[in-house]
Amino acid sequence: MSADRGNVKILVFACRWCGLIGADGAGRKRIELPSSFRVIPVDCAGYVEPDAVIRAFASGATGVAVLGCHVGGCRFNDANHPALKRLEMLKTLLDTTGIGGNRLLLGFGTAHESHQYADMIVDFHRELEGLPSMASWLSPGQ
Amino acid sequence: MLEPIRQKAKEILEKKEADGVLGLRKGLWDVIHPHVFTTPEEIDALVLEPKWLLAKMARAILREKPRSYRLAVAVRGCDERALVELIKRNQIDHERLLTIGYACDGGQAKACLCSRPYPQKLDAGSAVEGVDPLADERVKAYLEGDAGERMEKWTAQLKRCIKCYGCRNSCPICVCVPCKLEDDVWVERGVIPAEMVSFHHIRAFHLSDTCVACGACQEACPVGIPLMTLQLSMRAALKKEYHYEAGLDANRKSPVLFDFEKEPRPGQDVPDWVDSMGKKP
Amino acid sequence: MSKISLFLCNCFGEIGKVIDLESLKKRLETDPAVESITIVDSLCMPGDAAKAQVLIRERGIGKVLIGGCSPYGKMEFVKLGLAKEGTDIRTVRTVDLREGCAWIHGKDPEGATRKAANQLEMELALLQNMRDSKDVAIGLQQEALVIGAGPAGLSAASGLARLGFKSHLVDRGSAPGGLLNVITKTYPTDEPGPEKIKSLVDETGNNPLIRFYAKTKVSSVKGYAGDFKVKLAGPGGDTALRVGAVVLATGARILFPQKMYGYGKIKNVITQMEMERRFATGALNCKRAVFIQCVGARSADRPYCSTICCPLSLKNAMRIVDETPGAMAYVLHRDIMTPGSLLEAYYRKALQKGVQFIRFDADRPPEVRGQEQVSGVEVFDTISGVNRVIESDLLVLSTPFIPDPESAALAGMFDIPVDKYGFYSEGYPIHPLETRNDGIFICGTARWPVSSDQAIAQGEAAAMKAASFLGKNTVSALTMSRVPGGKLGHASADAAACTGCGNCVAVCPYKACRLQRMGNRSVSRVIKVRCKSCGNCISVCPNGAMQMPEQNYRVTGEIIRRAFREVR
Repeated sequence: MSADRGNVKILVFACRWCGLIGADGAGRKRIELPSSFRVIPVDCAGYVEPDAVIRAFASGATGVAVLGCHVGGCRFNDANHPALKRLEMLKTLLDTTGIGGNRLLLGFGTAHESHQYADMIVDFHRELEGLPSMASWLSPGQ
Repeated sequence: MLEPIRQKAKEILEKKEADGVLGLRKGLWDVIHPHVFTTPEEIDALVLEPKWLLAKMARAILREKPRSYRLAVAVRGCDERALVELIKRNQIDHERLLTIGYACDGGQAKACLCSRPYPQKLDAGSAVEGVDPLADERVKAYLEGDAGERMEKWTAQLKRCIKCYGCRNSCPICVCVPCKLEDDVWVERGVIPAEMVSFHHIRAFHLSDTCVACGACQEACPVGIPLMTLQLSMRAALKKEYHYEAGLDANRKSPVLFDFEKEPRPGQDVPDWVDSMGKKP
Repeated sequence: MSKISLFLCNCFGEIGKVIDLESLKKRLETDPAVESITIVDSLCMPGDAAKAQVLIRERGIGKVLIGGCSPYGKMEFVKLGLAKEGTDIRTVRTVDLREGCAWIHGKDPEGATRKAANQLEMELALLQNMRDSKDVAIGLQQEALVIGAGPAGLSAASGLARLGFKSHLVDRGSAPGGLLNVITKTYPTDEPGPEKIKSLVDETGNNPLIRFYAKTKVSSVKGYAGDFKVKLAGPGGDTALRVGAVVLATGARILFPQKMYGYGKIKNVITQMEMERRFATGALNCKRAVFIQCVGARSADRPYCSTICCPLSLKNAMRIVDETPGAMAYVLHRDIMTPGSLLEAYYRKALQKGVQFIRFDADRPPEVRGQEQVSGVEVFDTISGVNRVIESDLLVLSTPFIPDPESAALAGMFDIPVDKYGFYSEGYPIHPLETRNDGIFICGTARWPVSSDQAIAQGEAAAMKAASFLGKNTVSALTMSRVPGGKLGHASADAAACTGCGNCVAVCPYKACRLQRMGNRSVSRVIKVRCKSCGNCISVCPNGAMQMPEQNYRVTGEIIRRAFREVR
């Protein structure tokens, strides 16, 4: 199966307390990043429905990143703990079906720092480039 | 095994412990169908085979009847677990429900790949040892290999889906109306086969912490997609990480709903806010 | 549906030099929801901002979308400025085109333009499909309940009274004052304890805004921030109160060092509190006193420092040296903790007066000599490296503050967490007096060991926090949020679709979801004032009955579909 070079589409759910501030900081430092990602700001990582992540894959994203606060440092009374548990469970399912849990990046606990944010995006982009294409999932090919 | 169950059912009706017994009845022309037995005389037509999950039916009956109505259900292991899950989700009032439990035989357990072919409250029959589904060849074939191989295997299976919603309708725990699978936002309408990523992943994920591994979905599937296999690794993960199994304890909600303080992963140390600062994972 | 006017800020060319704004304009003009697109040079400058305001006013447009810098740049101010024109601030949305696009994709202008278009379209989807979550306003009870009449509680009640708020001060003891009542001298001013809070105690009797309930306990709590219904059980029977805010100043206890250093078995092995009592009754008669610090503190199960014991020992040691001619005082310590200039000076004073300080190691604690009466203490001096035996006729153990056993029950009643030792814990580290439950504030030693001065200061701070909350007539659910400028909306359950599975009730970190009986089934209901819009209930709802109208599932679905849409 051919690698997915040139067709990387990352959807980033960024919590406005950590992930989004990391994104802002990366911008201020003018860190050059691949333009393959789109950011959806959310109030808390708890907002990220696993169904929405699945929908993103179904709509053509090849990778989804969820960037939340440190586990234990959530602004919403540890609302990110159940979010992390849910999304880890989703990773298990993605692993089973072969989409691959590595297409779902859970950046809990790091994203506040802009350099880590940038590293995470760049590394994730590079990793997705090496993964097989998701085309066979999207077009059933009668 | 049949006689003790009939005896128990009769007793329940005679002592008026319940207003009706839900079970399978051998009716006219030997057709077997679910039936609510209300008199002890009727019970002689009660049968136990074939496997027919009655949990959702019990929910529907109890919703229809007045609140004083009590129902007894003849259940096998998976059916009892499904009832527990429905009680947990406030679909059934546990005070209005009685179960008459009977164990499956070894052959049935092997056919279903059931790890617990017996109810917790066993009234007749002896419990046989369960089968480890993850060790079975039929399951292993879909969980082995690298991502690319698994992707090929699963897309080959799922592209045969005719979107009949049989998996959802037969599931003893899927009770939502409306259902996300019918919504245009989540699953494209008017497309056959169903969108492979959204339809099947959303359905499977919604049952991640609720699936009782009864196998009804794959029995109902007209094209024979091994749907239960999708759930098995998530069930295994829950068991490994949180010692949780769906359908055993009506008072323990899914650990996925709680924070790490309330439902920790064994061996995992919850980092303090201060501890986690400046630490690269 | 009102149309959307879109402003693209060039930011003096910072955005325009990477992103092709003209082609962006051409692409977005085809969107039927967009009424107009205006490219401006800098929305944060008065000229362009005024121009935008004029445009908004002329057209009477409800919804505004701005492409410009990040919300952490100037965008929050621009939003506030535009909202002055009467637009609901929640319908003014911004997209980060500078930090999030132009500055990080400088080498890829084509990709950057594509990304900018997608991000703008995603935000358009939100503006188009957002519904209004109806704001709920509840009447606010402009009274406060202060539990605990120690230094912290007293100063909280007095602070509230000075700001004009009525407070109900509840204590389980018969008189206000708390632990300070038994202290004859406080450090570092040597002022008697009751003297220190005399003005505050007098105020509880004189000020009509403070009502003191002696020998009273809280028996039940209902309601939420702004309207707590509290029942008090006292000698005069039950009292029902409705208060807007609660200050918990329930204090702490001093640990009894059972089985440590022969306490309870050997005569004249006492705690600091017993020492105070002996000072008060004049029963103290000793020639050589030894103090052991960190008894039961800074250990494996209680690793915290109790803050007050070092200054306390300094004070008592000096008192012995001063009051009894020829008396000696030894302080066996692990580290002397005297932060700040005042306490450090106090330490130097003790050194000058001849108080002896001997440092010991936690692994080699001192040993008590004597069977029935203390005769001495053997200690390994880590600084000189020798074993020393100090003759002594009094051994004072400095034990730490431990949480009051009753505070756990109160914490449960008010639904706030306690830390692993049992002290009340704050909701978020940078809001030290606030708890996870809105309208409930913590101060004093119930929160963490502090000195009486600090407790008084914290009490006043908690009074300020409570007053800033009580200073309104009504509470609007949309402003009850940690998000600056209010939350976007709150969750609400669709009763027709809800199956009553209770997932939201289990997952909600604020206990805002409740199950309610409706006919033959139960449905979820959100207490809007409690909701902080973290979104967990929405994520665990199996069929999307739980939604936040502003960012509902149609919005999410549409945003995701538009994220990578190519030009048609």
